[in-house]
Order: sequence, then structure tokens, then C-alpha cells
Amino acid sequence: MTTTTGAMLPEAAYGPQEGAVKLTMLLGGVVFLLMMIFGLIMRAAQGGMIAVDPALFYQIMTAHGAGMVGTAGLTGAAILWYFTGRHVPLLAGVYWAFLGLFLLGVVCILAAIFLGGYAGAWTFLYPLPALSGGLWGPGASVLFLLGYVSIGVGFLLLHLEVMRRLMARYGGIGGALAWPLAFGKGRPEDAPPPAVVAAMASSVFNTLGIVVGAAVLVASIVNLLVPGFAVDALLAKNMIFFFGHVFINASIYMAVIAVYEILPEYLGKPWKTTRIFAIAWTVVLVFVLAVYPHHLLQDVPMPGWALAMGQIVSYFSGIPLIAVTAFSLIVYLRAADMRWDMAAALLVLGVAGWSVGSVPAILDGMIVVNKVMHNTQWVPGHFHIYLLLGEVAMAFGFMAWLVRRPLAADARPGAARLSGLDHGVFMAYVAGGAGFVLMFLVSGALSVPRRWAVHVPDWFLQDRLATLFAAMVIGAALIIVLRYTAVLARRAE
Amino acid sequence: MTLPRLSLAAALIAAAWVFRAPLEADPVTHILVQLPLLALAGALLPGARGTGGAWNRGGWAMILTAIFAMAFWMLPRSIDAAVSDPAVAASKFLSLPLLVGLPLRLGWPRAHPLLRGFLKAQALAMLGVLAFLYTHAPVRLCNAYLAEDQVRLGTGFLATALALAVLWVAPLLGAQGAAAPARRHRSVS
Amino acid sequence: MQALAASVAVVLAGLAVLWQATDGGQALTAERARRLTALRDMPAVPEVVLETMTGTPLPLGGPTKRATLVEFIYTTCPTICQAAGAEMARLADDVRAAGLDESVRLVSISFDPGRDDPDALNAYGEGHGADGALWTVARPDPDDLPALLATFGVVVIPDRWGGFTHNTALHVVDAGGRLRAIVDYDDPAAALTALHGVVQ
Repeated sequence: MTTTTGAMLPEAAYGPQEGAVKLTMLLGGVVFLLMMIFGLIMRAAQGGMIAVDPALFYQIMTAHGAGMVGTAGLTGAAILWYFTGRHVPLLAGVYWAFLGLFLLGVVCILAAIFLGGYAGAWTFLYPLPALSGGLWGPGASVLFLLGYVSIGVGFLLLHLEVMRRLMARYGGIGGALAWPLAFGKGRPEDAPPPAVVAAMASSVFNTLGIVVGAAVLVASIVNLLVPGFAVDALLAKNMIFFFGHVFINASIYMAVIAVYEILPEYLGKPWKTTRIFAIAWTVVLVFVLAVYPHHLLQDVPMPGWALAMGQIVSYFSGIPLIAVTAFSLIVYLRAADMRWDMAAALLVLGVAGWSVGSVPAILDGMIVVNKVMHNTQWVPGHFHIYLLLGEVAMAFGFMAWLVRRPLAADARPGAARLSGLDHGVFMAYVAGGAGFVLMFLVSGALSVPRRWAVHVPDWFLQDRLATLFAAMVIGAALIIVLRYTAVLARRAE
Repeated sequence: MTLPRLSLAAALIAAAWVFRAPLEADPVTHILVQLPLLALAGALLPGARGTGGAWNRGGWAMILTAIFAMAFWMLPRSIDAAVSDPAVAASKFLSLPLLVGLPLRLGWPRAHPLLRGFLKAQALAMLGVLAFLYTHAPVRLCNAYLAEDQVRLGTGFLATALALAVLWVAPLLGAQGAAAPARRHRSVS
Repeated sequence: MQALAASVAVVLAGLAVLWQATDGGQALTAERARRLTALRDMPAVPEVVLETMTGTPLPLGGPTKRATLVEFIYTTCPTICQAAGAEMARLADDVRAAGLDESVRLVSISFDPGRDDPDALNAYGEGHGADGALWTVARPDPDDLPALLATFGVVVIPDRWGGFTHNTALHVVDAGGRLRAIVDYDDPAAALTALHGVVQ
């Protein structure tokens, strides 16, 4: 066993939680599909192809946002748990508590939206939950926020267990982040494997995000129940976007662990923790926490330095990301005889989508651009790139890997290629996804506003094309999820 | 061994009693200095033998005792009564050492590390919520204190949260000590 | 198992204590608690004799002919008592309009009897339109003040500007001399409702 890949425990050592992770991915896949259908309904409604009452549209938009962010977090956490379990023993009960609290939160959120009528978007931005104009009562908002609290508590437990074990094993937070290698005399042979570094970094910032999120959630709940406790709107927005930004980023950074752990099987060589890698992840840790003001560039009362910091950090945040993962992946891919299958293809697509998505994100993070673009469909355009073609692709890749065929049959390097059906499904996912996000970006460039339930006919073309592309993505995703389910069911017999 | 700790605890309680007028004149020193002093005194008390029994497995019973006692002293009306009612004042000087400090000391070392981490995160979030409540309340929460003091107390809660966050996170960063055994362990496995 | 039993016992005892300490989850603050006490326990107001703005004695507590609406003030107050004075004048009008002026009296009691002599009380009363009949301004004997404030649950603290801060409110005392309700000083409608409740 080489020290660079870390001490891999035998599969049996983390076996007890493999079932839980597989169940999570099944739930995640089904919810992803459902939320994609919600997305398709919204685009079709905007394109004038179907009639959706605007009140229902915003309920669907809220469910789509909360559902997608939550499921991205859920699948990311499942990946984090699964691969952290290869390096340190983890307490199975914590994962079940996490899953239980998550499902409880989902029930609260769905009830708040579709029974209580809550439609204040996943960002619960103050004062919208309190001032619904009579569309929903404070009870629905409180239930929605309590759902978030439940999910947050689950994530907190999960991250605490992961951090605790990694700290004990690798020598504190610094040891698990490979600081001796990054900033000291440590040797690469002694550094923890990439999955450990990524697991520790994402757990650290997600824990901070959740603690801040819990405070603003409770403050919002108090405000809803006793309106006399006015919330400072700007402070609340800062806290909400810190929490939201960190949470959605954490979902991607957790999912990347699947790339570090799975792709070496296909590349035939381990993914190494280098000094650059270690430095980059520490920088990512700081940047994820510091970059959130780029969501508040239109808030005039924000202090200038905070906005400047948001723009500057957002310029540079692409660099460590691309350096640590995308660039290394390209180097590895060029040097290796890659044995492609669905899992490998989707994971590489995930890295590509994540990297490409950062480009329009950095553009939107520039103050001059932001003033014009931030309320257009440019914004859903950029985040759908690194979610649909990034995080979700990685999650689907992980699912495909969980039900992969043994590689032994295709042992000859370079022999395996994507088979006919796989090839078609993968291409449909890529083409549908690319076309879908392109329609958002084109609409954004044409100043089509985002979050409008009703569009004018001039905007119908992109909306209708996007609906078509969405149908392609859903078709491909359906096959991926169905095949995952079928293989799991067959193996369970 | 026990005598110095006992005298230190007694000294802390005596100090909290002797200086109670100036300490209780300002809610910031009342809540954030006097009450923690009393709890600290309780934590220094020599623990009774037998607290390691089965009933305190995992430290749950003791930690829950401390949580409920703290919840009682988080009620604004308890603080008001502690200033105006001698009986409640006396119960403050008894309950904070015996029902907060001592149980925490008896329960905390036996608590699962995950529970400890969760409680720390919970404490930080709760202090943040208290900071919000006390800086934004539309009315005076304590009749014994001015509205402006209430806002200062809210700011004090925030400062406490930040200080605790630094205090709890800083030791985790250091790789020294734990790093060497970790390496050895890894090469063996 | 013992640990579980001990924990459950602690939780039950803790919940019981918190339930007791908050009057069943209804009162987290002392202000809310004293309002509940007035509604529930109807404490008897100490039988004292006040000195009014005209220098005449005015008995408070014990059986009287009329129900009494009490507020606490100090005449040198630059802020909230002035607003409370204006609210009291409005309430006096409302009481007359409701035809309650035969069965109700309004008394503004100074908690600063050392400085608030009858001249000061008179100036305050005239400034806000107290007629001395329906609405009068009065001061207690300094020896009676602590018991009076304790019964009403009024806490007076220095405001660091030479004045005082206190929990300003309107207190309804029935003709039997019992404290029956406490409502916000700027809520004359609630005060009127409470008065209706005790005079009929």
C-alpha cells in the first residue's frame, strides 16, 4: 500500500454504511429527476407552452431551488461520507441521524410550500417570508425555516463526526489540510490523501456556514412569530448569502472527492497530494468564506471594501480550483490509457462543467457587469453550468460507479469505450445540459429578467428551446437513475 | 489537592457576593461576568465520589441538568427577580455552582466527542440568536435594566460568541503532537 | 438504562421547572408576569392616602366608590411621561364619551414624592389637562412608596441622565381595591375595555 493514496481500509470496514449511501443516492437521483421536471415546467410556462398560475410558478420555483440545493448537499455529503470512510472509521449512527433529519426537513419544506403556499424562494430573504402580500401565512414560513434548521442540524452532526475522526487521525485541522506540506517541511509521502484534504476543507467551511445559517434562521423565525423583533435587512442578507453560498459550494467541493477517489481506478495511478494541491485547498477554504459579498454587489449600503473584496476574491477563486483539479485532471488524462465508462465520463464532465461554470460566474462577480446582468437569466445560466453539468454530473457519476461492471473484463488499457446506449445517454446529457444553460446565458445577454413567471413573446424562442433541451437532460437522467435502481434491485435479490 | 480548589471556589463565590452591587448594576457584568464566575466556582468544587456511575453514562444526565438550569437563567424574568427578590438571589448563588458548573464538569468529560462538538456549535449559534434578540427587541426585556444596556448586552453576547469560537477552534489547527502518532499509525495500517 | 432513566428524569424535572417559572410558557419577562398576576391573582392594593395636586387627601386601596385607573409618573420626566400624559388626557376624553366618568377615576401617581410637591403636581396636571375631578395627579407618602410599587410591580431605575426609567403602563384597580389588569400605556382601547370589565 502506498502512503500517497492513504491507508485504504478494506471495503468491509465501511461496508455497514454502504447501504445507507446507496439508498441516499437513490433518493437523491429521484429528487433530482423530480426537480428537473419542475424546471422543465417553469421553462415551458415561461415559453407560453403551458399555463401555470404565477402563484404556483413561484411555489414550484421555491421547491426547485430548495430541492436542488438540498439534494446537491445530500449527494455531496453521501460522497464525503462514503470516501472518508475509506480512510477513517465513522460512526454509522451519525449518518442515519443525518439522513433522518434531512428527510424530516424535506417533509417540513414540502408541506410549507404545497400545503402552506410558501413561495418566498429558497433564499428566504428577509422580509419576503414575513411580507407575502397575503399569499401565505407566517406559519408556512416558520415551517419552511424549521425544515432548514432540521437539515442544518443533520449536516452539522455529519461534519463534526468527519472532522473529529480526521483530526484524530491526521493531526488536527492543519494536519488533515496537509499544512506541513503546504507551509512547512512536510514531505508529500507523509501528506494525507486528496480526499482527506477536500473532506476536511469542505467540512470546515460548511460547519461555519451552518452555524451562521442557524443564527439567521432562528432570528427570522422569531421575527415571524413576534414581528416586533425587526431584523436588520442588510445583516440578514449578509448572513443568508454567507450561509447559502457556503452551502452550495460545499456540495460541489464534497462531490469532487468522488473524482479524487474514483478516477485513479480508471487512470491506473493514484491522485497525489502535492504542495500546490495542499496550498490550493487552503486558499479555497479562505476564498469560499470571503467571496460571498459578490452576491451583494447591488446593495448600495454595503461597505465598499466588502464589495471590492468580493470582486477580487471572485477573480482569483477560479485559479486554485482550476489549478488543483481541472489542470491535474488534464495532465492525468493525457498520460493515461483511460478506460471510459459512464462513471468516468460523468465525473470528468463534472470537473469540466464546474470549471467552465466559473467563467460566467467570475464575469457576474465583476461590479460593472453585475449591475447590468445580476437580475437577468445570466445568473441561473452560470449556476446551472456548475450544478447541472458539475455537481449533478459528479453525483450521477458516483451512482454509475456504485453499480459499475467490474473492470476485469476490460483489463486491456484503452480497450473500453462507452458502449452504444451509454454513449447516447451521455451525449444526450451533455448536449441537453449545454443547450439548456446556453439558453439561459443567451437570454441573460439579451437582458431577459430572471424569476419572472410570465415572459413576453420576444423571449419565447430561448424558453422553448430550453424546454426541449431540458427534456433531453431529463431523458438521459431518467435512464441513469433507472439503471442504477435496476442494478441495485438485482443485486439485492 | 481538593483544599486549594475548594478555597478557590469559595473565593469566587465570595467575590461574586461581595461585589454583587457593582456587578449587578450593569447587565453586561451581571450576565457575562457574575453568572460565569458562579458556574466556574461550581466546576472547581471537588466532585463527589460515585459520579462515574451508570446513571451518568455519556454524561447525558449531568449535561441536561446544566442545560435546563442555564435555560432558567436565560429567562429575562429570572434575572429581574434575582435583582429584586432576595430568595431568588440566594437561589442564583446556589444553583449556578451546583446545577450548572458542577454538572458540566461531571458530565462533559464523559460526553461523546460528537455531543461536545454539537453543544459547542449550538452554544455559538444560540449566543448569536441572543445577540440578535437583545439588540433588536422592541421593548425592554428586563425591568431592572435600561434599553441601552440591553443593546450593550446583545453586543456582549456577540463578542462572547466570537471569543468562544476562537478559543474552541484555535487548538484544533495545530498539527503538533498529534501529527507524529498519526503518521506512525498510517504507515502501520 | 440507568443513564436513560436519569436523563428522562432530568428532562421532566427541567421542563416542570421551566413551565412553573414561565407561568406555563406564557411569561418570559417580568413585565408579562405582573400582567398575568393582575389578571389571575387580583392582588389587593395597599390602603394608603395620597396627596393630590390640590393638596387634598385621596385614599387608594380598600373599598372605594369608583374604580381607579392608575399610572406612575414623575413630573420632571422629559420623555415617556409626557407622552403618557397626552395618552392619559385622551383616555379621560374616552372615559367621558363612554359615560364612565361617574364610576371611574384616573390617578397619575408620582414615584418621586421628594421633588414632586403639590405645586409640581399641579403644574403637571394643568399642563396635560387633568381636571382634579375625573383625573388627578397625586403623590404617596415616601414611606408607602416601596409597598405601592411592589404591589403594582413597577420598577424604577435611574436613567443616567438625572431622571428615571420605569415600566410605564396603565393599571386598573376595581372599586374593591384590587389590581385587576395592566395594559400598555399607549393602548387606551384596552384600558377602556378593562374598565368596562370591572365597573359593571
